[in-house]
Amino acid sequence: MTNSMSNLKGLLNKHYQISEFEEPIAMELIFDVRNDQLLDVLAFMKSIGFGQLSLLTCIDWIEKNEFQLVYILMNWDSGIHALVRTAVDRDNPKFRTIEHIYPGVKYYERDVHEFFGVEFDGNEDSFKHLFLELWEADRPMKKDFDPEAYSEKKYGMRKYRTEFPRKIGGE
Amino acid sequence: MAIGDKVEIKAWEKLGDFFRGRSIWMMWYCTGCGAIEMPPTMTSRFDMERLGMGPMATPRQADILLITGYLSVKTLRRVIYSYEQMQDPKYIVAFGSCTINGGIYFDSYATINKLDDYLPIDMYIAGCMPRPEAIMNAFNELQVKIRNNEVDGWKRYKKNYDQYKANQMKAVGEVFVHDEFHE
Amino acid sequence: MTDKLKEVKLFLGPQHPGMHGNYSVHMYVDGDLIKKARPMPGMLHRGFEKLMERKLWMSNTALIPRICVIEPDINEMVFAMGVEALAGIEVPEKAHWIRMMILEMARVATHLFALGGIGGPTGIYTSMYWAVAERDLILDLFEKLTGARVYHIFIMPGGVRKDLPENFLDDLSTYLESLEKKLPDFEELLLKHPVIHARTKDNIMLPKEVVHDLGVTGIGMRSATGVAYDLRKVKPYARYDQVEFDVPTATYSDALTRIHIKFAEIKQSIRILKQVIEKMPAEGPVRVPIGTGNALKIKVPAGMIYTAVESTRGEYGYFIVSDGSDKPYRIAVRGASYPQGLLGIEKYLPGTRIDDAPLWMDTMGVCSPEIDR
Repeated sequence: MTNSMSNLKGLLNKHYQISEFEEPIAMELIFDVRNDQLLDVLAFMKSIGFGQLSLLTCIDWIEKNEFQLVYILMNWDSGIHALVRTAVDRDNPKFRTIEHIYPGVKYYERDVHEFFGVEFDGNEDSFKHLFLELWEADRPMKKDFDPEAYSEKKYGMRKYRTEFPRKIGGE
Repeated sequence: MAIGDKVEIKAWEKLGDFFRGRSIWMMWYCTGCGAIEMPPTMTSRFDMERLGMGPMATPRQADILLITGYLSVKTLRRVIYSYEQMQDPKYIVAFGSCTINGGIYFDSYATINKLDDYLPIDMYIAGCMPRPEAIMNAFNELQVKIRNNEVDGWKRYKKNYDQYKANQMKAVGEVFVHDEFHE
Repeated sequence: MTDKLKEVKLFLGPQHPGMHGNYSVHMYVDGDLIKKARPMPGMLHRGFEKLMERKLWMSNTALIPRICVIEPDINEMVFAMGVEALAGIEVPEKAHWIRMMILEMARVATHLFALGGIGGPTGIYTSMYWAVAERDLILDLFEKLTGARVYHIFIMPGGVRKDLPENFLDDLSTYLESLEKKLPDFEELLLKHPVIHARTKDNIMLPKEVVHDLGVTGIGMRSATGVAYDLRKVKPYARYDQVEFDVPTATYSDALTRIHIKFAEIKQSIRILKQVIEKMPAEGPVRVPIGTGNALKIKVPAGMIYTAVESTRGEYGYFIVSDGSDKPYRIAVRGASYPQGLLGIEKYLPGTRIDDAPLWMDTMGVCSPEIDR
């Protein structure tokens, strides 16, 4: 078990010079790659047994002014989850699709586009809306979007009366 | 005239309500999380059919629409579409606290907070989610109210149609279902 | 002229007696055959990932069961596993066994519900009446244990909320015996029925080569590849390595095989529950506090983690990001039915008939609230 983890770390270090890893829990590995390395690293991971893409998601680091894309890969034979992270600019978020490596990522990319605004070149469906219909405000999952203010303005809240006939505790 | 004012009834409708109150057909639409307690209510353990209620597939022949839980904006568009296809007289029962004031999703950008603004509700059921016993109790009370000619949701809708439409357009935009092919 | 009349655009819409949950499939149909299909999710969208960022860590435990309506306990389990790993705390022994018991009871209840749900598309409504009544008895047990039928809020970071009530394990074993006596009736109704055979044999296949490409897990993966890829065996959590059970597999994935596998999994879950009843420790604490005592003020150390459990539909996971404050920074939900509900419908429904679309959703396991979140 730990054999395969150290094997994996060794291979990644040898081919791509990745040396910083986080291991938050057993059989899980997190590491960062640069934008230009990402497609090579993913194709390499697929060839060594990480055949399934579990999730593609995005984190909005508003202080550092970047979006961080996280690809979560799974190897069923050894039981290792690998999380591959890369950063994209927040003001002009563009990236390439990986649909030719993992076809299942098509709808995940539409999801990230719809909620964060990241454009994926090569995924021709990614501009079409999926979960939200007729949405004209800002992308909802960004940290500067306030859902409560939007809900109050567009849908209205139920008004409750705030003056009561008697005060609790006397008088 | 406000949305909540009552409307008067005709004499022959009293006879119709006597029969209608004993046989209500429910439209089959699970709109939200409360729908998971509908199969136990409909099937053999709590058995809604002994009250005379049964499921019906199409809105054209159904009497009652159950809003089981929260309504996201996308579902509201389709619920309005289906509600306007139902024939009079028709009733709406709203389950759960999400229809009253937004419930646990009061600060969500995708769910509505006050269902009363968009559709006329005849009965609310409290709970998150309401138990089958509470649902049966509510249906019983609804039937008693129908027989006493006290429910008039559909008449309020017709009388105050412009106000309801204005509220709906503000939240929903347009009541038309586009297809996913984006052609 | 007749070419233009050949294909019709049809919405197998949300308001349909055969549809499971609030989900819709838009398709082009030629007679009965589907030519093109697209899923339409989003009708149950509540913006959970945004709402979870606005609530405290412990307040989130009231919000998260509502993500997967049919099997809410898996949400609590992955959240608790993630927070415990980030905060570095160890859960007591009895809590692990209680968690395993709750997860297996939820698995039996959900599989029964799915087997009953086959009644809608195929017309065998008897299965719905029987299965939902059986599932209701499990919900009674949950009510005795946790206080609520559907949303339990029982598994929390640190353990479980309370200890077992008295005589609970006896009630559970009485129930399991009565369920085992009724299983042969279910087999005769569902697995040997000529109508089910005609509707599901050699129908709605999932080819073996595409399982990994799509990302399908759970019954769809095990019935096509023939290997026991189950997170309870590959990455055991909560004492699954101390009970014995088999994982049913097959190599030919048509709808009938998947129904057989669901059935076999119910039997294996009953086997696990019997072992849990024997091996449950009699005494011991069930919860440890995180931080210094006030549950509403806990701060989880900064870090990222992805935890997953095996639900009835596949690998279900949460990706939790914490920045050291009292609210989560980002939680992303990996719904187990995301691949088969979205890309699976687009690629593998064309070629089948209209009435097979709800059967795909039932046998592969498509639960719409966890796709829409």
